[in-house]
Amino acid sequence: MRLLGSFSFRLALLYAALFTLSVAILLGLYYWVSIRHPTNEVQAGLEGEAARLERLYRVGGEGALAAALERRAAAMAPRVAYHALIANDGRVIAANLPSWPAPSGARWLRIEADVYRDGDEDDHEALVLDRPLPGGARLLVGRDIEDLDEIEEAVRGAAVWLLPALLVLVFVGAALMSRAIGRRLDTLGNAARRVMDGDLTGRVPVRGPRDDFDRLGATLNAMLDRIEASMESVRRVSDSVAHELRTPLSRLQADLAELRSASPHRAAELRERALAESDRLARMFDAVLRIARIEAQRHAVELAPVDLGALLVDAADYHAPLAEDRGIALETKVTDDLTVSGDRDLLFQAVSNLIDNAIKFTPEGGAVSLDARREADAVVVTLTDTGPGIPPDLLGRLGERFFRAPEAAGIAGFGLGLALVRAVARLHASPLDFTNGKPGLVVRWRLGWTKPTAGRAGQAPTG
Amino acid sequence: MRILLIEDDARVSAFVAKALREEGHLVEPIADGRAGLVRATSDRFDLIILDRMLPGLDGLKLLQALRATGDATPVLILSALGDTDERVRGLRAGGDDYLPKPFALSELVARVEVLGRRQPAAETSARIEIGDFALDAIARTVTRAGRRIDVTDREFRILTYLASHAGRVVTRSMLLEHVWDYHFDPQTNVIDQHLSRLRQKLEPAGAEPLIETVRGAGYRMRDR
Repeated sequence: MRLLGSFSFRLALLYAALFTLSVAILLGLYYWVSIRHPTNEVQAGLEGEAARLERLYRVGGEGALAAALERRAAAMAPRVAYHALIANDGRVIAANLPSWPAPSGARWLRIEADVYRDGDEDDHEALVLDRPLPGGARLLVGRDIEDLDEIEEAVRGAAVWLLPALLVLVFVGAALMSRAIGRRLDTLGNAARRVMDGDLTGRVPVRGPRDDFDRLGATLNAMLDRIEASMESVRRVSDSVAHELRTPLSRLQADLAELRSASPHRAAELRERALAESDRLARMFDAVLRIARIEAQRHAVELAPVDLGALLVDAADYHAPLAEDRGIALETKVTDDLTVSGDRDLLFQAVSNLIDNAIKFTPEGGAVSLDARREADAVVVTLTDTGPGIPPDLLGRLGERFFRAPEAAGIAGFGLGLALVRAVARLHASPLDFTNGKPGLVVRWRLGWTKPTAGRAGQAPTG
Repeated sequence: MRILLIEDDARVSAFVAKALREEGHLVEPIADGRAGLVRATSDRFDLIILDRMLPGLDGLKLLQALRATGDATPVLILSALGDTDERVRGLRAGGDDYLPKPFALSELVARVEVLGRRQPAAETSARIEIGDFALDAIARTVTRAGRRIDVTDREFRILTYLASHAGRVVTRSMLLEHVWDYHFDPQTNVIDQHLSRLRQKLEPAGAEPLIETVRGAGYRMRDR
C-alpha cells in the first residue's frame, strides 16, 4: 500500500499507537491508585477483623461475638462497619445490614446497605466478607466502600464517551502531524526537483534556525550554494578559456596557413613561431585546468605539516637571480615556528607566483619583502612591493582568471598567476587579501592549521 | 637501448618512436595495454615508456602488475593528467619518472637518457672529477684547476645533479624537480639565471666551458 510507504503516515500511526497506549496506562494507573489499591486495603482489614472475631467466637460463643459486633458497629471509624451473625438454624443473632444473600460459596459480597438517617436515604455500598464459623453459624463483616464505588461508577461512565473522544483525538492529532511533516518534506523535495530541472537557484525556504527541518534546509542550501558556485566557476572558466584561447589559436592557424606557400627562410621562422605559440597555448591550458581542478576541489589534496618558513626561504632563493637582475632587493623575514597544514607543492607554487608577480611589477631599484610570523593559531604571510599598486576599484578583481591590471600591458603573463594563488588559498581555507600600501601592493595571507577536507584522502595533521 | 613504448595514440607513438630511433635506440611500439604487459614480462627492455590511459588495461594497473612480478625495468609514465597528485599516484604505482602531455620531444629524450642509463646504486659517488673540475660530496667542495670555488647550497646541488648525469642533457624541469624538490610550474623560468650565475663562478673568462646550453632542451655538463 502506498500510504504505508509514506514516512509521515507511518509516523502518524506510531503517534496514534503511542497516544492510545499512554492514555491506557494513565487510566490503569488511576484505577489502581484510587480504586483497586484502597479496595485491597479494605479487604485485608476485613480479613484481619474476621479472624479476630472468629477467635472470640471460639472462646466466648455467640453472646461475646454479638457484643463485639455491636461495639464495632458503634465505634467511630472512617468507614462505617457492617455485620450480620446468623446461627446455624437461620436465626439472626445480630445484624446492621438490611439484607444479605444466601450462602453461595463466594467469600466477597457487595451488599446495598442503605441507611435511613433523619428521613433521608443514604446510598451505601458495603464490601462484605462471608465467613462460615465453626458449628455452622455464618458471620458477615463488612465496611462501607461507597466512595470507591462512586469513583468506579464515574470512571465507567466516562469510558463511554472517553473512548470515542480518544479515537477522534488520535486521528486528528495524527493527521495534523502527518500533514505538518509531509509539508516540510515536500518543500525539500520541491527544491530538489527544481534544481534537478536545471534551475540551480532553487532553494529550500528556511524560516531561520528554528528547528531540525530549518537546519536541514540551511545545510541543503549551503550545499546548493557550493554546487552553484562550482558550476558557475566552471562556466566562467570555459567562457574565458574559449575567449582567451581563440586569439593564440587564430595566430597559430594563420602561421600554419602561411607556411604552405612560404619561402624556406620564412618557413623556418613560421615553424618556430607556431611551435612557440602551441607551447604557450598548452601552458595556458594547463594553468586554467589546474586552477579549475583546485577550485572544484577535485585535486585530492593531502594536507600535511609544512614548514612554511623553509618554504618561503626556498621560494625567495629561487627568485633571487630574477630580483638581482632587476636591481630589486628581495628580503625574507621568517621565524622557525611557522608550521602550517597544507599541500607543500601547491603552497610553493602559490608563494612563487606571488613573488614572481611582485618582482615583475616593482620598478628597478625597488624592494620586495616577504615576512611571515605566527599570530595565535595562524601564520600570517605578508608580501609587500614598491610597485605602483593597483587602482582601488580594481583590487577586488585581482585573482580573477585572465584579469590583467592595466599596468601589466607590457609584462608577460596570462593573468592566471594570482587566480591560482586564490584557488590555493581557498583550498586551504585561508583568507587572502590584497590592499594598496604606500606605495605598492600588500598581500596578506593568513594560513592556519586546517582540517583535511571532509571525505578526502589524507591524514589528520600531526606534530 | 631497447625501449618498449606502450602508447595507444598512433600519432604520438610514431612521433616518439621516430625521435628515439634517431637517437639510436631500438623502439618497439605497442598500442594495447594487455599486449604491452605480456611483451614487457616476456622480454628484457632497458626502459618502458608507458601511457597512463590505455585501452584494455589501465597504465597504472599494468605497472603494478609488472612490479608485482619483481621486474625493476625503469618506467617513464606519459600522461594527459598533469596534476601533482596524478604524478604522485604514478610514482607510487612504481613509475620512475612522470611526464605530462603535451611534452617537448627534447624533454622526453633527455629523461629517457637519464632513466635508461641510470646506475643501479650509488648514483652519485662521493667524488666526481671531470677534466680539471672536481666535486667532493662529502667535503662539500668544488674545485676547478685546483682552485676552490665558493658555491651556495643550491648551486652545489645543481652541480651534483649535472655532474652525476655528465654527458647527458638535463632539462629545466628535471632540475626543478631534483634540485628544488618542489613540483611546480614556474611563471618565469629563473633556472637559466641560476645557471648563468653558476657558470660565471665556474668558468672565468678564458676557461673552457664546463656546462653547455642545449638549445631548446636544457643543459649538459661535459663528461671529459
